[in-house]
Amino acid sequence: MNLQAQQDSIPTVDSLIVKNKYGLRLGIDLSKLARTYLESDYNGYEMNADYRIADKVYIAGEIGNEERTTSTEYLNSTAKGSYLKVGLDYNMYNNWAGMENMVYSGLRFGISNFDQTLNSYTIYDTSSSTWGQTLIFESEKFKGLSATWIELVFGFKAEVLNNVFVGVNVQIKGRLSEVRPNNFESIYIPGFGRTFDSGNFGVGFGYNISYLVPLFKKAKK
Amino acid sequence: MKKFIYLFLIVIFSCEKDDICSGTTQTTPRLVIEFYNISAPDEILAVPGLFAYGLDAEDLEVPINNEIVTTRSSITLPLKTDDILTRFKLYKSYDEVDGVTNGNPDTIKITYDTENVYVSRACGYKTNFDIQTFSISSDTDQWMISSEILITKITNENEIHVKILH
Repeated sequence: MNLQAQQDSIPTVDSLIVKNKYGLRLGIDLSKLARTYLESDYNGYEMNADYRIADKVYIAGEIGNEERTTSTEYLNSTAKGSYLKVGLDYNMYNNWAGMENMVYSGLRFGISNFDQTLNSYTIYDTSSSTWGQTLIFESEKFKGLSATWIELVFGFKAEVLNNVFVGVNVQIKGRLSEVRPNNFESIYIPGFGRTFDSGNFGVGFGYNISYLVPLFKKAKK
Repeated sequence: MKKFIYLFLIVIFSCEKDDICSGTTQTTPRLVIEFYNISAPDEILAVPGLFAYGLDAEDLEVPINNEIVTTRSSITLPLKTDDILTRFKLYKSYDEVDGVTNGNPDTIKITYDTENVYVSRACGYKTNFDIQTFSISSDTDQWMISSEILITKITNENEIHVKILH
């Protein structure tokens, strides 16, 4: 009763009702397609989607597949597999009436299932100048590897044409769990990216183009 | 946002150090031999003018990196990572004057199994050794009298693997 009374007492300053578009936005990662085309040691794609559930909140997710060959001085390996990321995006940008741009931060839970092939390696031997270096070319495939991680996303999405958005985002990741190969480790994890000796963190970026399928409009509060 | 940029820079700079195998990481270990007194087997006894060469399949001398003539009681020798047998020629009282080598050479032969063990992304794999046999070739002027394998598994250089009495 009290609440009702309060609301009634607020004077209406503006009678214009701003309506926001709600719907399912579907997109692809252009950077992965470009890298597939340009880099001989990379093949991958990613599809992404988000669905607005509140004025500033979106359920968001990505699904993709990557094959990446990593070659260092002493190791050559190929990781191949699929990944799924789900979470929320929070729009921090105050749009003008009728605009749907986003500057957002988001949180994801990611999971990847993949295989890793050790193509070749050179034994790390600081005294190799005496007898020479030993190269091993017996390729070995480690199947059924997996990893999970959480991811912080920062990015923007700008509406460049009606319902067409382009966006850029960067991701910082922390690995939660991992099924590691025996006598080896995951050098690259699809969806997570390269790994580091010094920790469970990872980084990534995306360059997306997406299309909003408008489903309904809702008045902005 | 500023904090995030700093974090991102830290991540980028830390990549570099991650891609270089640190010198303090134990990678492929060498064989460590210590010399003892034949008349008092518990006493360490330095070898005057000790110098080592590798011996290849054709009995040719192969120089060992950083090997210099010194009087010392232990020696560290690199084993072949692509073979299961390595031989070395160990000189006592080594001296080289005008291309003429003086000293008493004895040949040792080590047979072993190898195991390639993953170390890290930057260092890749190292080879560990499992000593099967250690022998000293007999000759008329042998200075190394007998040997004993103390540790068969060579995984680091902080321990003595073989003891030689002279």
